[in-house]
Amino acid sequence: MDLIRMEKITKTYPGTVALNRVDFHLEKQEIVSLLGENGAGKSTLMKILYGMTAPDSGDIYYRGEKVSFKKPMDAIKNGICMVHQHFMLVQAFTVTENIIAGSEPVNSGFVDIKKARKEVNELIEKFHFNIDPDIRVEELSVGEQQRVEILKVLYRKAGIIILDEPTAVLTPQEVNDLFVILKQLRDDGKSIIIITHKLKETKVLADRVVILRDGKLISDNTKPSEVTTKQLSEMMVGREINLQTRRPTSSKGDVSLRVSNLTVIVDGRPRVKDVSFNVHSGEILGVAGVEGNGQTQLIEALTGLCKPESMELMLKDKQISGTSDNFLKAGIAHIPEDRLSMGLVKEMSIQDNIILGYHRESDFCLNNGLLKKKEIHEYAENLKDKFGIKAPNTEVAVSSLSGGNQQKIIIARAFSRNPEAIIIAHPTRGVDVGAMEYIHQQLIELRDNGAAILLISADLDEVRTLSDRLLVLFEGEIVSESMPGELNEIEMGLLMTGGRTMIEVGDKS
Amino acid sequence: MTDNMKSVKKIQRRQSFANSIGALIFSLLLGMVFIYVIGYSPIESYKAIFGVSLGTVKGFALSLSQATPLMFTGMSFALAYRVKMINTGAEGQLYIGALCAALVGVYVTSLPGIVHVSLALIVAFIAGGLIAGAVALAKAYTGANEIILTLMLNSVIIFFTSYLVNGPLKPPSSGVGQTERIAESAQLTRLIPQTQLTTAIILAIVVALLVQFLLDRTVFGYEVKVTGQNFKAAKVAGINVSKISILTFALSGAIAGLGGAAMVLGVNYRFVEGFSPGYGFAGISIAALAAYSPLAVIPSALLIGVLRAGTITLSRTTSIPVELVDLIQVLVIIFVAAPTMIKPIYKIKDKIVEKFKTRGKTHGGEEL
Amino acid sequence: MIFTTDLILSILASTLRRAVPLLLASLGGTFSMRAGVIDLGLEGMMLAGAFFGVMGANITGSAWMGLLIGVLFGMIFSLLHAVLHVSYKVNGSISGMVINLLAAAVTPLMLNEYFGMSGKSSMVESFTNPHWEWLDNIPIIGPILGGQNILFYLSIILVAISWVFLYKSKFGLRMRMVGENPEAASAVGLNVKAYKYFGVLMSGCFAGLGGVYLSLGQMNLFVENMTAGRGYIAVVINAFGRFNPLGSFIGSIFFGFFDAVQTVFQSFFPSQLVMMTPYLVTIIVILFGLKSGRSPAGTGKHIEN
Repeated sequence: MDLIRMEKITKTYPGTVALNRVDFHLEKQEIVSLLGENGAGKSTLMKILYGMTAPDSGDIYYRGEKVSFKKPMDAIKNGICMVHQHFMLVQAFTVTENIIAGSEPVNSGFVDIKKARKEVNELIEKFHFNIDPDIRVEELSVGEQQRVEILKVLYRKAGIIILDEPTAVLTPQEVNDLFVILKQLRDDGKSIIIITHKLKETKVLADRVVILRDGKLISDNTKPSEVTTKQLSEMMVGREINLQTRRPTSSKGDVSLRVSNLTVIVDGRPRVKDVSFNVHSGEILGVAGVEGNGQTQLIEALTGLCKPESMELMLKDKQISGTSDNFLKAGIAHIPEDRLSMGLVKEMSIQDNIILGYHRESDFCLNNGLLKKKEIHEYAENLKDKFGIKAPNTEVAVSSLSGGNQQKIIIARAFSRNPEAIIIAHPTRGVDVGAMEYIHQQLIELRDNGAAILLISADLDEVRTLSDRLLVLFEGEIVSESMPGELNEIEMGLLMTGGRTMIEVGDKS
Repeated sequence: MTDNMKSVKKIQRRQSFANSIGALIFSLLLGMVFIYVIGYSPIESYKAIFGVSLGTVKGFALSLSQATPLMFTGMSFALAYRVKMINTGAEGQLYIGALCAALVGVYVTSLPGIVHVSLALIVAFIAGGLIAGAVALAKAYTGANEIILTLMLNSVIIFFTSYLVNGPLKPPSSGVGQTERIAESAQLTRLIPQTQLTTAIILAIVVALLVQFLLDRTVFGYEVKVTGQNFKAAKVAGINVSKISILTFALSGAIAGLGGAAMVLGVNYRFVEGFSPGYGFAGISIAALAAYSPLAVIPSALLIGVLRAGTITLSRTTSIPVELVDLIQVLVIIFVAAPTMIKPIYKIKDKIVEKFKTRGKTHGGEEL
Repeated sequence: MIFTTDLILSILASTLRRAVPLLLASLGGTFSMRAGVIDLGLEGMMLAGAFFGVMGANITGSAWMGLLIGVLFGMIFSLLHAVLHVSYKVNGSISGMVINLLAAAVTPLMLNEYFGMSGKSSMVESFTNPHWEWLDNIPIIGPILGGQNILFYLSIILVAISWVFLYKSKFGLRMRMVGENPEAASAVGLNVKAYKYFGVLMSGCFAGLGGVYLSLGQMNLFVENMTAGRGYIAVVINAFGRFNPLGSFIGSIFFGFFDAVQTVFQSFFPSQLVMMTPYLVTIIVILFGLKSGRSPAGTGKHIEN
């Protein structure tokens, strides 16, 4: 009998169908890899199982009986526990305290710390976790902290453990250690579901693979021993792309943006490892990669928002460094990853937002500091028309616009300043198809006018269609450089997920 | 859903206006409850309060003069809040501004009126600004909490000035802690004789206009608004958020300093210890009521000034305490900060209105 | 002036006396901060405790009843802080200041209404200082500890109880978890709001008690604004004491000492300058002293829904 049976689960959010009549089952003592791209629906499916959200329709059976979990505590009581991607730990507490908090052994109101330590130690010994239970969590490495999270669920006698992208923040060695632990847990009788997009791990770890794509179940019975990573990638990504929309550049010029030896270290961990590349004027250089592989840090360094460990940045023979102000003034425009939180002030009007970052230029203000209100208004109206921003006027608050229109403001803002270089991140994430088309058009136009564009995106389609040259960023390093069309989607997917190395693909550096 | 999308400014203003009015009305209502509990008639009391402060020339002048220092401290708090900093130091900045103005008024001699007054005001402005600026710098460098720093500074300044005017600066024949009387040339003209209403109120309005202009029409004001509303976006846009925060906070203190100068140059003609019955803290409610807009601080201060004037004169004839206004002020802050507290009341009001509507419809015997 | 042993002993005794209200208030602050709520409202809660303690003693004729009523009102004021911040998500610093402003408005109001006086109330029953023969006879310790008010001994006991509660009990651990990471606490099924309310109410209880000490312990009446900023000093003590009871104890002794030494120097220096010193010291401590202990990581944070 199946331990868990989910039937015909459907879940929609405004604008998208997250899950479309998906079936899922879990048996005792197995490790299942729930595989899919960003947005395929895997997290949503597990959130429903765990009680964090409710399905629109569909049934869930646990041990043959129909259940409905209204909140995570319901799931936990039934032995279904989740290890979240972002750890839920109290840094200041010890390992033991973190494990027992909320389910403490008590002795007339007092925490029986002796008993707690004994029980925790037993678990640590049993599974060879190799952690000091009395150490404070803030002193542990990321991999060790994850083990504390796993101990938490073990302490609560979890029979079913869901791990959400567990290897996203681990070093290769830590990944191996984790795999050993997970296999032990399985052998001990537990069932484990791993939400992931990483193929290599799936092949090494899972007993069975369930693949979701665009909210639909593609396969739920794939045995990793019976498929190649290539086939897995196919099932995961398999989509048509329209090569017709590609417009190769005709104006590629000299090297405009020169990045050398860029290294960014955050909290002791190197996130960007000695990266170097050039962008020519009239060229779009695409950087493909799954989120979390150093993109954010790369962008921050190239826009003056963080101080890199080392970097030499030249824009047409001018060295650039310092604060974001310097970068903007030097002509490096930035289209940020996170529109609303980093690029717009939602309470302010379109007009006010459209000059943000450029407000000190002589177009918009006089020498004495007064804003040229009339000119700003005209400018805003012009851009609104030119870029087709849907709004009744330029005085409305940006918060009342759709995501696509918000992105248009940011793009209109940067592109109209004729920047020499543009750093653009995930430009069409969460944006409707019409606006997507438009933004791509704009990028091409700017490129044709001679700008050097660095496009960072996790959307393979987007990056393959738009780029004149393609890099793949994986774990902070450039693992491939190719011309679009040289590598097919499957191969690209593999590079992005660490499935293959540069050597295997055929060194093109 | 099609919204009637008007200008963002209009919608925001309408909402915060409604918010503030709602808060004020509610606070007044609660004040009425309190008066009733003490044993007086709320209607009579409020009639008397407003009758005095709005009905007579002297009363209205008192209202305006009571409002004047509140305009300064209200603007001070509102401005600092625009960069999400809390300036609880207006009281101390008031005192230091007052003392400096008094010193200029007393010890700088033989200057024509306008110059003398201007000098005193400028010195007060700078003094308040330096104190606040220092606090903002401390916060930028050490992460210290500006609330505690300014609160502690309040006490330090008040005690220190008290020491000065009870010691070195005290006139020989005086029984209380104060400075000498300032020169004629430093005195502000009374707008209405035998009242406390001086040209200071014009100064307050001018400052409000200037600050609002600064916020709306200059690059600095733009950067202030962005910094306060989205710190991250401000940094991405190349704005020097530390500089903006420090300057704004300093300006906030400088305005409060002006308020102190206004009291010295216009009302007392000298620095008198304890001259402020909490104008600094009252400024917080004024600012909240004005939804932190410098221009709106003027009518906001006027409203509270009217209340204060009324209560002061009233307290001479009845035993309704002046502190009632303090209580109403605090209630205003509460209801402006947590408007959802009184929303249920609006819901009930809407339900009642609905009931009346449907009652009318079914009058002809139709089914509900 | 010669520094005789008597003088030193009396300074030390005075130090303890003046430390008590600071200790109680900062203990309250500890509870609040540990639950993740900013403790800026301690001043108002103290003032409320001070006044309503006296009013209660006046009504009932008993100092102990007055104490209970004072503590109760300290908690009522803190309840407003909790409601505004935890339930209505108002910024914790603002809701704390609201409490302070409210107490500053209400106490003179009530002073007028209930006692019919302004500035200070009439005298009421207060606490007597217990004397134990054996304590008085111990050299050095005797004169210092012996002359203390009964509330002093109560405070010491409360320090111990607080410490045990916070670090040894189940609820203490849970409350601290809420303060450090409310999301994580919610994920293991804890009622985050309830624990925050608890922490804030405890702060009201302790701060209220501190206020009672000022009015009924040290004196036997209420004087307008008699807390004189002690609540704010308690906030600082709490921060530098690393938000735990022991730290509060040490910090309050430190500030109590300065306060005690004041009266000695009043004969040398102008009174206002002397009265200024605790505030000046506080500023210096904030700016140049040890970096404050890291406050609980979840301070001011709310959970979704």
